[in-house]
Amino acid sequence: MEITMKKSILYSLMATALLAASGLFSSCEKVSPQGVLMANTSVDDRVKQSLIYYTYHGDNLDWFLVDSIEEYSFLVGSDSHITFDPGRLAEMAEIGLENGDLFYCHLGDLADTKPEYYYNTKAALYNATRLWRNKYLEPLIDEYHKAEDGMFYDKRIKRDTRNFARAWYDWELPFYPVVGNHDITHNGWSLFCDQFKTSFYEFTVQVGDKYDRFIFLDSANGTLGDFQTDEIDNNALLNDDKPIRNTFTFTHTNIFRPSMNEFASTYCREELYYLLNKLSEWGTSIAFWGHVHAWDDRMFNGVRHITMPSMNFKDHPNGGDDLIVRVTVYKDDREPKVERVGLYCKERSKKELEELGYYVTTK
Amino acid sequence: MISRLRFIICILACLAMCSASAQYYNGERTFDGEHHNEVSLSLTTGKNIITGPCIGNTVHYKHYFNDHWSVDGGANLQYTKELYGIKAKGEYHIKVKAFHIFASAEMLYNRYFKYKTNEIDGNISVRFERGYWDITLGETLINYTIGESGYTELPTLTFGAHATLRPRTNNWNVGLLFRNYDDFYYENWNINWGLDFYYKFSAQWKMFGEFNIRPSGSMSQLASKYETTGKVGLIYRWK
Repeated sequence: MEITMKKSILYSLMATALLAASGLFSSCEKVSPQGVLMANTSVDDRVKQSLIYYTYHGDNLDWFLVDSIEEYSFLVGSDSHITFDPGRLAEMAEIGLENGDLFYCHLGDLADTKPEYYYNTKAALYNATRLWRNKYLEPLIDEYHKAEDGMFYDKRIKRDTRNFARAWYDWELPFYPVVGNHDITHNGWSLFCDQFKTSFYEFTVQVGDKYDRFIFLDSANGTLGDFQTDEIDNNALLNDDKPIRNTFTFTHTNIFRPSMNEFASTYCREELYYLLNKLSEWGTSIAFWGHVHAWDDRMFNGVRHITMPSMNFKDHPNGGDDLIVRVTVYKDDREPKVERVGLYCKERSKKELEELGYYVTTK
Repeated sequence: MISRLRFIICILACLAMCSASAQYYNGERTFDGEHHNEVSLSLTTGKNIITGPCIGNTVHYKHYFNDHWSVDGGANLQYTKELYGIKAKGEYHIKVKAFHIFASAEMLYNRYFKYKTNEIDGNISVRFERGYWDITLGETLINYTIGESGYTELPTLTFGAHATLRPRTNNWNVGLLFRNYDDFYYENWNINWGLDFYYKFSAQWKMFGEFNIRPSGSMSQLASKYETTGKVGLIYRWK
């Protein structure tokens, strides 16, 4: 008996709906259908907005200067999926302050997209900023006032402090995130860019007369999009003319699949090969990827690719010895060293969080 | 019994998709007992976000040994993409009650000239076909090499669903497609969707075409449009 057309359409719709459902739950946990079906921004729009910001404020990102010291280090974390408790992010900041790490990078899915989650994330970063200012900036105030022309260099914070005269509140924790897919659902991008302004940018660290380049790409939709790839090809980022020593790249969506338990890359074929070629063309030392919540470390075409585990409470309720990494970059030509660093704090109760001043709701 | 089987196949297809998939579609594919050879030539145009406007040709030759066995070879020349591919495929067909079942094995080689990338794909698939619809399930291994580095992706599930307005034996048809592959590529979670059609002028000549949207990023990442293409072609069959 032939199946009727009506039934055929019904089965097709059923298959389509189930396929869509399978897609909804295919990457990071906690995906809501509304967020999946209704993106508030496209990658093109975000990159345009980022470039406008970058055009006017890109110089402010570019303030690191490493002169006489032998090495510097930075921390990289990923997929923190902060809800009410930003404890792991605060712990990462504390570790960096304790160790004297120069700055922090984050590979996206910083917070799940609710205003109160971002409020708490912002509060944690503000606390970390306060501690950072106390450690690095307060000791400089006297020195700044003693300087004859207001220009001096302080190697303790490894920054060019010629702009020190800027308002105190302009100095923020050097925390550089990229946007992840969870950062753009619901009203996520507006929450993200309110705090971090940009999803496509770069800065450099000057080491002697050469530079280390840090490039942040927006792949929150699983693609760079045509505008971003065009802008990359048109050298929209400012540092192409500098003598570059090491290049590090950071983006959310992974290329390499750590195991069968994780989902494969979602870059389309041409884009995948474009990106791998571009990383080699940039002479990338290490490319950092997030999204799949699992560790992977491999060399491909001269580039070291590190896919990061998540640092959230849901995946690691008791923490772990290897949730973030510290990269140490040497002044000489040695390869940057990567070491895995643990986070151990446990998720606090809503009551505890409320007492600490975080915003907690029951819904 | 048959509707239960249909239901089970639907569920299996969808379950398979939940864990993680190929066949190109030219309309009627079953050996008619008379025509052993068919050749198709098509023109594809559209826009790809990385390579910009794209235009290319594909050519296929298929030989049916009998009602069960066939072999297929194809070439793809995408001029503006600078993508060149060849493929070979063997297929076994069996009829189980009302179902036509096709088991196939395929090897595909792509040279992405612009990106200095060689890609080799191996696929095995099973296609279940009824009068108005077909579902394909399979597994694909994708290996690519850039410079001296090579990487074989872990096996990717291959999935295709296709429903038509008219029965497959009709001399014209319009269909809806939903799949993570096309004639000359296999994707992971980027699921193509689109419309296809054919019109059979005679036993020898048939016109076919499709409009294909290839998104970027999986649906869970708010997929955006990556490539939009239109294809038209002709198939000629002979004894």
